[in-house]
Amino acid sequence: MFPDKPELTITIPSKTELLKMVVELTKHIATINKFIPSDSQKIALAVDEAITNVIKHSYLWKKDKDIRLEYFTNENGLKIKIIFKGIPPVLSKEGVDINKYIKEKRKSGLGVELMRKIMDSVEYKSVDNINYCEMIKWKTKK
Amino acid sequence: MKHFYIRSKIDEQIAVIYPKGHLDAHNVERFEKEIVKLLGNNIVRIVVNCKDLNYISSAGMGIIMGYLDEIREKRGDIKLCSVNDRVYEIFDLVGFTDIYDFVENEVVAINKFKNVS
Repeated sequence: MFPDKPELTITIPSKTELLKMVVELTKHIATINKFIPSDSQKIALAVDEAITNVIKHSYLWKKDKDIRLEYFTNENGLKIKIIFKGIPPVLSKEGVDINKYIKEKRKSGLGVELMRKIMDSVEYKSVDNINYCEMIKWKTKK
Repeated sequence: MKHFYIRSKIDEQIAVIYPKGHLDAHNVERFEKEIVKLLGNNIVRIVVNCKDLNYISSAGMGIIMGYLDEIREKRGDIKLCSVNDRVYEIFDLVGFTDIYDFVENEVVAINKFKNVS
């Protein structure tokens, strides 16, 4: 179980300029919580993908919207909750078919796939016009 | 402060692109412009030398994916070389390593293009 209170909460404006900062912050939180370096890097990428999707699909690239990130930790893992408004995400249940995407000349559609491959759990929900993305990563057993 | 740089060179109709730093949705446009510029000059044999690429998100991978069909239709290809382990792992997660030619370094990539021409 994760604690009810996040270890860290940060609210950022919906600017892609801040993606790298969020990646560095997430990597740092994962590292100090004893994730192995390659997992820390991947968790940070999953957060980058989630935030990019919010900016692109929910806020349609508007830069003045809020995105709140909450980091919860316990000895076994890390939970990241991303809270935002705007257009609720609509996710495909199908996996990615890269060959099909190439034929269709698609330049997007890989982000959620990466999140699902990296994290142990990725869940979206929308309640009362507020959207939530919750991701959990458990530590690799040594 | 810039976190991403890109340059390229063309020799014998083979281009080598050098992305450097952190490639995400914020700076992907510059990466795309480089590819589009090459295609506009009918350069379809492209090596992406990733030796200085520390990070790539799906935004960058999307550009590599989105132009591949057009490039292969024109009898070209995109080869990736000198990819560090962490970036390779990300390419591998989405299946790129089954579809793209990943080679150890730029010389090998260029020679492979020359052998097929």
